[in-house]
Amino acid sequence: MINRQNARPDNPINYTEVLERIGGDTEFLEELLNIFFLEFQEKKSQIEVALARANFSLIQEIGHSLKGASANLSLPSLRSDASALEAAGRDKNIERARQALISLVVECRALHDFVRKNPPQAQAQSV
Amino acid sequence: MSQEIREKMRVLIAEDDVINSRILEKNLLDWGYDVVLARHGEKAWQALQDQALRLAILDWMMPGMDGPEICARIRRRKKYQYTYIILLSAKDRKRDIIAGLSSGADDYMTKPVNYLELRARLRTGRRIIDLEDKLLATQKQLRDLASRDSLTRLWNRAEILRFLDEEADRSRREKKSVGVIMIDIDFFKEINDRLGHDAGDQALLRVVHRVKRNVRSSDRVGRYGGDEIIVILPDCDAERIQKVAERLRRAVGGRPMKYDGRSQRATISVGCAAATETADPRTLIRRADAALLSAKGRGRNCVVVEGVSGTPGKERQNDQPSKRQTR
Repeated sequence: MINRQNARPDNPINYTEVLERIGGDTEFLEELLNIFFLEFQEKKSQIEVALARANFSLIQEIGHSLKGASANLSLPSLRSDASALEAAGRDKNIERARQALISLVVECRALHDFVRKNPPQAQAQSV
Repeated sequence: MSQEIREKMRVLIAEDDVINSRILEKNLLDWGYDVVLARHGEKAWQALQDQALRLAILDWMMPGMDGPEICARIRRRKKYQYTYIILLSAKDRKRDIIAGLSSGADDYMTKPVNYLELRARLRTGRRIIDLEDKLLATQKQLRDLASRDSLTRLWNRAEILRFLDEEADRSRREKKSVGVIMIDIDFFKEINDRLGHDAGDQALLRVVHRVKRNVRSSDRVGRYGGDEIIVILPDCDAERIQKVAERLRRAVGGRPMKYDGRSQRATISVGCAAATETADPRTLIRRADAALLSAKGRGRNCVVVEGVSGTPGKERQNDQPSKRQTR
């Protein structure tokens, strides 16, 4: 059980779902989110290079990887954008890939802000 | 499943995504598994060379080698115990699932993983491994039953002949000699007739016990038939075989043994033969048997050694010369 406000469907993270996946360990979730943010920065740079070189297979690969990570952390918006990036890479559509990256960056920032205001530990207190 | 496996089974997690890998690792450790991690297909394949890894969770897409390729390689290899594989993938179309299972995976799960489901599926994997272990143990038991004499637990005639063939091959390859000792319990028929077959069996078991205690672990002791015991001695020439045979004779007849409820003496007659580059292993047995017959003819409780091949690469055609007798 988590704060009602934090369980809204438009939230960037579904705490209920992800905590269920990792046995309710909020510290572990914080660690995973930190890994995600670090990896996101790295992948963002890789996507920018791939876009500049029109390397569609790399775009598809990174999109696939981000899709998996966001699915595991129950980040619905990020998952959807990562899926769009993967599809753009597969379809060799540079414009859609650019749009997907912009959207990913916005969503990641939103997630970061949300987590700062509603840290995983706070979810445990509301159980 | 052995207790050890039940308590701490090792599972390979082959997954290049750090977050998924960490979540899998945490859950598996919480469920009591030991975890081996690989983030690259080649590393996963290397880890799977360890026979103790019987359960594997493989991601479909990995750098180096993907999950289906690893599955196919695992299924191609021989002499390994079964490895139960769960393939993970974001691919959830029917044709992907079919392709994943066709590559050799036992199970297929789509991402994001439902961990209650994964836990149950791992239990299924353990049950399969448990069944395989039981099957192999039963096979071993059956093999053992088929190759041992039921009374003495010595190798039976077929098995000892197979072993002699192997040793003869080796002696030819390595130019080393191989020895055969044939042992017969003196007046065994009288023991049976006078004291009954139970007493005869007991006497045979006592003799076997003493023989086994006086040979090397590399030597094979078998029951050739009735009260005839055969010993195959790798890397053993005529000089050495005589010493061994004499030691056996003394070990059996040197002090009384208890059978039929009382202390009694039993002696053995021993015939031996040794050869290098044995063309026909059965000839060696015939020669040892002839030596045994000779020992019996000389009054029993003695050792007779047939000579070594005089000319390397050739079997002695007649078994007459170089008889040595000790009492």
